[in-house]
Amino acid sequence: MIGFLINPIAGLGGTVGLKGTDGNTYKKALELGGTPLAAQRAKVALSDCYTLNEEYLTCSGRMGEDVLRDLKLKYRIIHKNKEITTAKDTKKACNAFLKIGVDLILFSGGDGTAKDIVSVVNKRIPILGIPSGVKMHSSIFAINPKTAGDLLCNFHNMKLSEGEILDVDEKSYQADNFNVQLFGYALTLKAPYRVQGRKNTFYEIPEDRSKEEIAKFVLEFMENKTTYILSAGTTIKKICDLIGVEKTLLGVDVLKNGELIAKDTNEKQLLKIIENSSDVTIIVSPIGSQGFVFGRGNQQISSKVIKKIGISNIIILSTPHKLSQTPHLFVDTGDLELDKKLSGKKRIITSYRMTTLRIIKRP
Amino acid sequence: MADNKILLDENEIPKRWYNISKDLPVPLSPVIHPGTKEPIGPQDLAPLFPMELIKQEVSQKRWIKIPEEVRDIYTIWRPSPLYRARRLEKVLKTPAKIYYKYEGVSPPGSHKPNTAVAQAYYNMKEGVERISTETGAGQWGSAISFATNLFDLACSVYMVKVSYQQKPYRRNLMNVWGAEVNPSPSTKTQAGKKILEENPDTTGSLGIAISEAVEDAATHDDTKYSLGSVLNHVLLHQTIIGLESKEQLAKVDEYPDIVVSSCGGGSNFAGISFPFIYDKLKGDKKDLKATAVEPLACPTLTKGIYAYDFGDTAMLTPLIKMYTIGHDFVPPGIHAGGLRYHGDSPLISLLYDQEIINAKAYYQTEVFEAASIFGKAEGIIPAPEAAHAIKNVNDEALKCKKTGEEKTILFNLSGHGHFDMGAYHAYHSNKLEDYEYPADLVKKALAKIPQL
Repeated sequence: MIGFLINPIAGLGGTVGLKGTDGNTYKKALELGGTPLAAQRAKVALSDCYTLNEEYLTCSGRMGEDVLRDLKLKYRIIHKNKEITTAKDTKKACNAFLKIGVDLILFSGGDGTAKDIVSVVNKRIPILGIPSGVKMHSSIFAINPKTAGDLLCNFHNMKLSEGEILDVDEKSYQADNFNVQLFGYALTLKAPYRVQGRKNTFYEIPEDRSKEEIAKFVLEFMENKTTYILSAGTTIKKICDLIGVEKTLLGVDVLKNGELIAKDTNEKQLLKIIENSSDVTIIVSPIGSQGFVFGRGNQQISSKVIKKIGISNIIILSTPHKLSQTPHLFVDTGDLELDKKLSGKKRIITSYRMTTLRIIKRP
Repeated sequence: MADNKILLDENEIPKRWYNISKDLPVPLSPVIHPGTKEPIGPQDLAPLFPMELIKQEVSQKRWIKIPEEVRDIYTIWRPSPLYRARRLEKVLKTPAKIYYKYEGVSPPGSHKPNTAVAQAYYNMKEGVERISTETGAGQWGSAISFATNLFDLACSVYMVKVSYQQKPYRRNLMNVWGAEVNPSPSTKTQAGKKILEENPDTTGSLGIAISEAVEDAATHDDTKYSLGSVLNHVLLHQTIIGLESKEQLAKVDEYPDIVVSSCGGGSNFAGISFPFIYDKLKGDKKDLKATAVEPLACPTLTKGIYAYDFGDTAMLTPLIKMYTIGHDFVPPGIHAGGLRYHGDSPLISLLYDQEIINAKAYYQTEVFEAASIFGKAEGIIPAPEAAHAIKNVNDEALKCKKTGEEKTILFNLSGHGHFDMGAYHAYHSNKLEDYEYPADLVKKALAKIPQL
């Protein structure tokens, strides 16, 4: 038996430039035109799971039932929820999973959903996440929905391992400070490189010097005629630090002529800026350890945005240390064709006037 | 049984070095004093080098006699063997004939003592008692230590601190041969002290080590400075490699279609190729292809510009016209330490500019892959620098396989890799990074810098 639940509001904030959909942000995300991703991604995960003859225990409506019904999978409702769902629904469902004794909990959501589940089940039931939130720093998520499905089909034969559930302090995160705490541990499927590792931020003095070297070089070749879309992270923030403008650490900003012309943008704003500029370049840095270049933490730079700018106008930066701790680089824009084009051997600026070659893959 | 190696007798060691300066299609641009912007003269170099080497630096004589005392010492390892790489040819299934000159038989394990011995000799003859020099990973430092020991000269080596700490084996060679090895920056010089005061934890750089060695020579009456590559007289001394190879190939009625060598400062490449380029310049061998191979992490010839630049990071040297990617460029820590130089020898730069030679650059991983193929086939483990040449040789041999051409390829296996096992370990553990110099982005960067 598999416990299955969807957090219907997960991922809503991503493309609209919000850093999560927790609390009141949900309403804001809807107003800004955010699209729910969790159900869609869950469908991708489960669409090839017909061979798995398992019963799914789930919640009503958007929290699981709708997807399972569409896919004609065998299911039973164990929790009835209202139209607007909250963390309480997740927790109630998990209590039911515990009582009945499911073999695995499969969920579609982000870090917040994972935290709610683990607060109830602890390490008593293994869990596996279909990545569809804005933040997915915990190490219990499959690297993409398709892989979640593949893992599920084989889960009876797989060993288990411990994964970290990371809790990003929501208030400080929304205020652009990155403060991650370890919330706890969960059991998950042991599948290195298929279940993603936790995000790591590298803070060291030599690391800071490396960031400065990279930033120095970027500033050297930046041209006044070009509009630069600056993705999230401390490596990219260093560029702005050196020219004395304040970059949003976790958001996507736009720089032209040494000035930030837009801060903490969403997909819509980026598309508008691209429309009015002839020469646009994206500067991006992979997420430490997890290795995502696109598709995690910078969903505002959506497939639409990337396609308009062109893949030849992407510059990737990383400190050598971060790269050495990040064995694989991934792209997961949600557009398979684009991901194919973004894959392959790419150069990454790792120092002053120096690049390192690395292979980028689709997860 | 087919011969695997072609040997010369000790009395067949060449009696003259070949000076390519005489045969250049256009004259070398003068070396410029950075202060006066005027060409420098012998008097400017006299505090640093003995007069005979200064004369060689500017000589227009095609052949320069090798002193008997130097030839006598050369017999310790010279003539070095020329091998036919039959097993490699078999592995590559190529119709090409591959020959390699093996310089790893010298006591320090590389081609470097060919000039170190000559330089120590001329210093000794002019009454110099002590030599100062710098070294990165230690190839040059060990060669000059070996040479000064033979002529009873004292030797002071400034070794980049990070190599001093992490690569002790070549340092120990230097100690055996009686040299004083100082981790650079040291407290022995003003330059070193100043840097240590500002940054006590610095791991050092070749630029700093050059500053210290030059200061040491300039502040001691009994001391001169010595350099292991780039300069004309250094390249001159290395031509013994190509001159011997020519004799050895003649014994089996061969002449190369392609000559290949790795190229950092250029002494290795000049050594094997100049005696053959002589025939090309004369018009006898117009189709000879000579290829200088460099790392993509420091692609001086293939991505640099031909311009006046400082020879060192600290801007202490005169301005030299050469291919350069900028004296302030610090190449990443690739394992072929000998190829981490921002410039190239003025002679090689001119030949490249005149399209007499070619250049090719490769990634570190493909170079080690080629080195492993070679090591498995021929047994000898190549130094990472020499492995760059092997990569190009393998590519040329595979081209021959496609076209069916039986080309004769000669390359310089300039040293063994016994002190570079850390690099091979990294390769076998998939831990080697492939670096690439981003020439397009640097071009954009340089376009913004105001020109003087």
